[in-house]
Amino acid sequence: MIPDTKRQVEDTVRAVLRDVLALDETRVATFDADTPLFGALPELDSMAVAGVLTELEDRLGIIIEDDEVDGEMLESFGALVAFATAKTAQ
Amino acid sequence: MLRFGPASGPVVMIAAPLFEEANRTRALLVAICRGLAERGLASALPDLPGTGESLIETRDARLADWREAFAAAADVAGSRVLVLALRGGALIEAEAAAVARCHISPIDGAALVRDLIRTRLAAARESGEAFDPAAIAPPGPPIALAGNTLSRALLAELLAALPTRAERTVRLSSDPLPADLKLNSAPLWRRAEPGQDLGFAHRIADDITEWAATCGS
Repeated sequence: MIPDTKRQVEDTVRAVLRDVLALDETRVATFDADTPLFGALPELDSMAVAGVLTELEDRLGIIIEDDEVDGEMLESFGALVAFATAKTAQ
Repeated sequence: MLRFGPASGPVVMIAAPLFEEANRTRALLVAICRGLAERGLASALPDLPGTGESLIETRDARLADWREAFAAAADVAGSRVLVLALRGGALIEAEAAAVARCHISPIDGAALVRDLIRTRLAAARESGEAFDPAAIAPPGPPIALAGNTLSRALLAELLAALPTRAERTVRLSSDPLPADLKLNSAPLWRRAEPGQDLGFAHRIADDITEWAATCGS
């Protein structure tokens, strides 16, 4: 079952960050739209980015093109959720 | 090749993931082997040519070599072999003379190569160097991808490779693809650092032990 509502996508992004970056459940539960990610989260380096994107693709049934990956969509939790939601709707 | 468990009976041949995922999951695979041994089942974990303690350079490795090596290891391991493949391991066990196969989260070669390229692009973005993902086709020199130097021929082979047909498939509950069993664990192979999940290892050992008993005699 591929998640599609905005809430389900948000839950999935949260779960992916938790699983791929090995973060605490309680810590990811505090993430909101403004929580900074790339550049602020030490666990999210360039190697980890690849794992996060691929896992998002697999869980949401989307394809993320290489040229769509930029600083903006990884900047904050809100930005990443917005990006994933838009892709899921396509 | 690491061997565990009793000297007789069926042997579970472990086909480890490929490239960096092998490092990330090695402790997990060893824990699975130990778990199987505790439950009275033998297992073996071979290193493919160009990996681990092999004397061959990774850049000289080919898919056919890996398939042949794994099959040869299975032959010496025992007379009744069950294959347990994790992720890309499902791409290299095709020639093993096995009674049955179980795949954990199998992926096709194209997905694997996409992953390698994505990691290379992420690193390139950070260092400011250019990398053209389209420029990996033969002919040409080997390419450095995600910590390994691989021949273009191997990459081309991987792009076309598909998992062998397996009697049993296990996936994580977060994975929407179909499976005979879904387990609620995090994908250790996606983490940047090697990790461990003993709970997952024991659940797999339980499942494989049960499954092995049903695999005919």
